Amino acid sequence: MNILIVEDESRIAKRIERMTRDIFGDNLQSLKYINTLHEALRFIENNSLDLVLLDLNLNGDNGFDLLTTAVSKSFHTIVISAYKDQAITAFEYGVLDFVPKPFNRERLEQALHRAIANEKIETNEVKFLAIKKRHRIQLIPIEDVLYIKGAGAYTELFLADGKKELHDKSLEKLEQLLSNTFERIHKSYLVKMSEIKEIIVESGSKYMTELKNGERIPIGRTKYKDIKAKWL
Amino acid sequence: MNLRFFPNLLLICFILLATSCSQNPVFKEYQTVFNVGDQQEWAAKDLNDQYWEKRIALVPDGQVFWSRTKIDILKTPESLHPYGLQLHVYGEYEVFWDGILIGKNGNPGQEAILDPEGKMWATFSIPTHLTEAGEHLLALRSSLYYFPDHIGIEELEIAYYDDLLTDRLIESSYMHLFAGAFLIAYFYFLFLFLSDKKEYATLIFSISCLLFFILILAEFVKAYVPIHYSMHVIRLQIIGILMLGISFLIPFYFSMQFPFPKRKLLLTIYAGVLLFFFLSKYVFELTANNMALSMWLFSFGIVVFGVYKKMKGARLVLLTLLLSVLIGFATPFNKSLFAGFSLILLGMFYLLSLRIKEQRLAYENSLVQSTRLRLELLKKNIQPHFLMNTLTSLIDWVEEAPKKGVLFIEALAKEFDLFNQIENQTLIPISQEITLCRTHLEIMEYRKEINYFWEEEGIDPEEKIPPAVFHTLLENGITHSLPLEDNSIKFKLIFESNNDYKCYTFLTFATAIRQEANNKKEGTGLKYIKARLTESYQSKWDFTSESTNQGWKNTIKIYS
Repeated sequence: MNILIVEDESRIAKRIERMTRDIFGDNLQSLKYINTLHEALRFIENNSLDLVLLDLNLNGDNGFDLLTTAVSKSFHTIVISAYKDQAITAFEYGVLDFVPKPFNRERLEQALHRAIANEKIETNEVKFLAIKKRHRIQLIPIEDVLYIKGAGAYTELFLADGKKELHDKSLEKLEQLLSNTFERIHKSYLVKMSEIKEIIVESGSKYMTELKNGERIPIGRTKYKDIKAKWL
Repeated sequence: MNLRFFPNLLLICFILLATSCSQNPVFKEYQTVFNVGDQQEWAAKDLNDQYWEKRIALVPDGQVFWSRTKIDILKTPESLHPYGLQLHVYGEYEVFWDGILIGKNGNPGQEAILDPEGKMWATFSIPTHLTEAGEHLLALRSSLYYFPDHIGIEELEIAYYDDLLTDRLIESSYMHLFAGAFLIAYFYFLFLFLSDKKEYATLIFSISCLLFFILILAEFVKAYVPIHYSMHVIRLQIIGILMLGISFLIPFYFSMQFPFPKRKLLLTIYAGVLLFFFLSKYVFELTANNMALSMWLFSFGIVVFGVYKKMKGARLVLLTLLLSVLIGFATPFNKSLFAGFSLILLGMFYLLSLRIKEQRLAYENSLVQSTRLRLELLKKNIQPHFLMNTLTSLIDWVEEAPKKGVLFIEALAKEFDLFNQIENQTLIPISQEITLCRTHLEIMEYRKEINYFWEEEGIDPEEKIPPAVFHTLLENGITHSLPLEDNSIKFKLIFESNNDYKCYTFLTFATAIRQEANNKKEGTGLKYIKARLTESYQSKWDFTSESTNQGWKNTIKIYS
């Protein structure tokens, strides 16, 4: 695990660092602590990370710029903040968890566990997926996304208007965030359940699903029963 | 325009209508002729006076002279209901009607020997048997010792004797009621001014009301106080002075309500013009006319400027000015003067009430603002960024180093206690503010693990300052700075004072954080500081905040 802590309160940063080291033990490869927005942005661009623990209020600056950048990346983001009223917005942007201050070890462990265990979060109400365009971050509303296809370390988002966008997060990570509305019907596909029109059994035990727009997507052999039950 | 004004407008129109249609006259007056000398036969009705003068310029030394006026009575009076004759004439005289002496006003020809007697406005009853419809003759045997060049009959009126007496009293009693309203306004606004001596507009309005009150009295006093013709000029002079005062004060008042450029210069020129009119002519009506006209013109200019600049109330005042000029055209001068003035005074009154309303709103606003500032001060300690970060650090200290944790809690308790003490104050001693800052630094040291230093220079512990102003600057300094290489940040508060101002300089020595160009909007902290300074010092303060090579520099200047 490569972890970055962004926090401008030194004592709190040390607390997070200590607990994180404790919780991950030997699984931790690197842990970095940064206390300014600018440096954090630079570090995120130039290093490969697995998890970012982020305080939203750094030196009086609003950290939502940093948040949109962070959630567009391949890693998961956990927000640790004093402002509980920001939690809903943070979840809408697609953070893995929101830990309100003051926190104890149990609460932090619970959040970190989500990251380690690929635990699905049923309560998440993700509203946007942030994707990286050439010079800016674009927020794509979830209701525009029909299905998502894994493409190596990346994913492709297939949108209602027929466009296709690339996302930096892996299919596994997105599955984790979107488990409320999307189902993994195949090792390469994540589909919004409300878009499925029909489940078709073709000859040779080939299972397909037809979406409302007529597109057909394969269903994994092992997943069929499960999906059919959920769909019905 | 608001509909509330409509009934008032109707009333004004009705009054105008009522005054314009008076009764048909019962007599017709012919050319008056004069002759110097004194012969009793000149009173006779059928004397041949065709060689008498139509005009005499001067009759010196109180010599006796006669005047004869042919009068047609158009309607015989009802029986037992005599006609009366009302005269407005300079001099002392005897009145002959158709050759018969019907009245005496003073002692013509004996003025130099005897004391002045008689009055300017006199009413005589004419015996009923002498007022049948037809030709009659009015002869006056006069002398003019005091104003030998004021020869002639200024006004002559014949009507029922009772009506002549009562009409004038009724008119003047109404005018006195009217005057009373202005007297009350004078006292009310004078007391209002005395309770708040900065409101000069109130004072000017109250003086205008008083002058207008005296003007009405001076004009209508003639109905019930006998004024000898030698004293009449004094009354006119009093009226002239009152007119001068009012004519200056009304535009002066408007110039305060609708300020315009080069105000002093223009007002001085205007005062000069008024004085010129006042001193140059002794023809009363003309002087008063000129002054009233220039007053109106100058006021009109000011109010039009006010309307152009969209100042509050200017449009309604412009309307009253235009209405007053309308009345000026519709009615004779002495009536339009009062109607016009009272309309303009009403306009001024309206403006004053607007200003009073504005002041009340401003006051209420300031109360709300003070409450808001108090809440903001209270919020400093419970806003989540401070409270939750502090508590998180505190938990950590308690878990890792309980003894230090206790010290941390003590520092926190001290800051809370200090906030409690200053919570409801608008000014606190600077020493208390400094204690607050030092306590805050103590807390922040536990949180940030940075070495904070506090320095002071030239502080006078007795000086007062709005609460939490430097505390807010300190918070900003902590939030927006990174420590120097030796992990320290230093704050320094310097106080300087001289006769003109007191100046606090608050310096932060730290490494600046690279800011992404988002300094555009002013933070709530700075707004709080400015609002607090305004609350205690109105506009007599300056606040600057700028970055320096070593960190940050804030200065607060308070002017005395």
